[in-house]
Amino acid sequence: MIKNKFSIMTHVVAGYPDMDTCRELILTMADSGVSLIEIQIPFSDPMADGPTIMEASQKALDNGVTVSDCFELVASVRDKVNIPLLFMSYVNIPFRYGMEAFVKECSRVGIDGLIIPDVPFDERLDYVSLVKGKGICPIQVVSPDMEDSRLKDVISQSEGFVYTTLKVGITGAMKEISEEGKQFVRRLKGYTKLPVLAGFGISSKEHVEQLRGISDGAVIGSHVINLFNSSGTIGVRNFLSSVQ
Amino acid sequence: MNSYFGQFGGRFVPEMLIPALDELEKCYEASIKEEGFHAELANLFNNYVGRPSPLYYAENLTKMLGGAKVYLKLESLNHTGAHKINNAVGQALLAKRMGKKYLIAETGAGQHGVATATVAAKVGMKCKVFMGEVDIKRQYPNVFSMKLLGAEVVSVKYGTRTLKDAVNAAFKYWIENLDDTYYLLGSALGPHPYPTIVRDFQSVIGKEIRQQMEDKEGRMPDVCIACVGGGSNAIGMFSDFINDGVRLIGVEAGGTGNKIGEHAARLSVGTPTEGIVQGYRSYFLQNEDGQLSDTHSISAGLDYAGIGPEHAYLHKAKRVEYVSVSDQETLDAFKLLSLTEGIIPALESSHAVAYALKEAPKLSKDKIVVVNISGRGDKDIFITAKALDNDNWKKFLTNETISPPDPLSTSRSTQNKEGEDKNVI
Repeated sequence: MIKNKFSIMTHVVAGYPDMDTCRELILTMADSGVSLIEIQIPFSDPMADGPTIMEASQKALDNGVTVSDCFELVASVRDKVNIPLLFMSYVNIPFRYGMEAFVKECSRVGIDGLIIPDVPFDERLDYVSLVKGKGICPIQVVSPDMEDSRLKDVISQSEGFVYTTLKVGITGAMKEISEEGKQFVRRLKGYTKLPVLAGFGISSKEHVEQLRGISDGAVIGSHVINLFNSSGTIGVRNFLSSVQ
Repeated sequence: MNSYFGQFGGRFVPEMLIPALDELEKCYEASIKEEGFHAELANLFNNYVGRPSPLYYAENLTKMLGGAKVYLKLESLNHTGAHKINNAVGQALLAKRMGKKYLIAETGAGQHGVATATVAAKVGMKCKVFMGEVDIKRQYPNVFSMKLLGAEVVSVKYGTRTLKDAVNAAFKYWIENLDDTYYLLGSALGPHPYPTIVRDFQSVIGKEIRQQMEDKEGRMPDVCIACVGGGSNAIGMFSDFINDGVRLIGVEAGGTGNKIGEHAARLSVGTPTEGIVQGYRSYFLQNEDGQLSDTHSISAGLDYAGIGPEHAYLHKAKRVEYVSVSDQETLDAFKLLSLTEGIIPALESSHAVAYALKEAPKLSKDKIVVVNISGRGDKDIFITAKALDNDNWKKFLTNETISPPDPLSTSRSTQNKEGEDKNVI
């Protein structure tokens, strides 16, 4: 899933600010050289999200975006972009859809990975085995306060890459990346052969530069949404071109 | 500790919350094995909360209804006016033991917020309470009390701006401040171990009822009735009787109708739908896509889209009957109990009373029904006065707002100009 270069994963909320613009954003991101795109299916109660993504999710839902619209969004761009597309959402979305039906639909539209941050690996909801052999990577999310033994268990369940947060906190742009976060990425690299992508708080070219040589890539979520809000698709394109 | 009730419950949270939940579970398991902890809790229950709360024989109501004997468990007489303090006291002791400095809480009606602000003042911790903007507007007396008790009240202005959003806001804040902050969750829901811990601290209600019934009647009650929002007063009342033959009834908020958005009845209106939200698997009011629905109830404390996982289990196991009553039936019951017994119940508890009014007359005189009066109705004056005595209430409010300020409070109100949201009273 991750090629042998420093990877940038960006984030969109499906249907934000509307479906057409969202589609255009995905195409722009792919065209600007990002390596993967994480498409968030909006949820009414996004526990791990800060104001930027929360407001975008609410706007999308207010626009009437449905889960099936999100599948159609992916289907409509799948042939036009040549990079992995991942779904990120909270567990109630696939759970209510039916886990198996959801995975089947992901396969149909060409989703390459799933990020569901509120299903710990040891809960009674095994979606990891459901996606096995279907070309969909279950991406595990880890964070700096985890105990070593649990950390090793969690990353053993990940495929494609491991997604680590750089802080213990919710999503959202930050001024600085903490030393603690960078230390954690170094520790994590010692435990897994999978690529490690780091996110939560990345909001400048400098942040991305700081991660080069430490992680295998950076996840830029809230910041690209903020950029879009302030300067549109052009602003997103310019920023992404600058961090390649 | 078992984290599931049948298929319900669990711990569906981002990994970053797992260490804090593990820490809480360990602390709780260790604490309940210590005599010192139980002694400390009992001391606070008896001398601070005012336990045991009375089990009161409602003789006038019983005569009027002409059926079963009706007893009222008066949690309304607890310090701070509701059952919420039982859990707040218990969890605050755990927070102390874990060395936390700050307490945070979510609140709907404001009762849990007041209870948490109260114990925070008592144990010397700082407190922040998250409350939906809609609830802040309809529960001003409790907002005022929380501030008076030294807590900061944070208005949650997203989503439905009610209890569920307050829970989200509290979780988000907690994730950002895990080191020194403890989330004192107010109902028997959320990720494990909260549903179990809250139930255990609230189970004092049912245990007392059993003892008081034994003393007064020499037997167990036949029926126990409680209102169910998240479900902490109900599970506290029921848990001691689950393995006995007592009929248990949970009353949900029927609101103004059966359409989505008109009620908060997860189990008793339509077909309950399972979901995994706010850390636990249970039944939720949600749309086909799994988005939580808007809910409505005249009582803020029942206005919530989810229900504690043990209630989901007890529903599925058919051990507890879940029913609902409407806003209007609730108001009627509220008036009736005030008139017949001189007891003004909270609007939440009035739901339980309303169902008892229907059920007791159907039962023979040798049966005994206990209704949990989980809280008192003072806090609801802005709703009940508006609903029952609108003209005079409006006159009163108008007079209050146009009359010259009390000279004693002039200096304070000048300082207060910066805005309502400031923690200044």
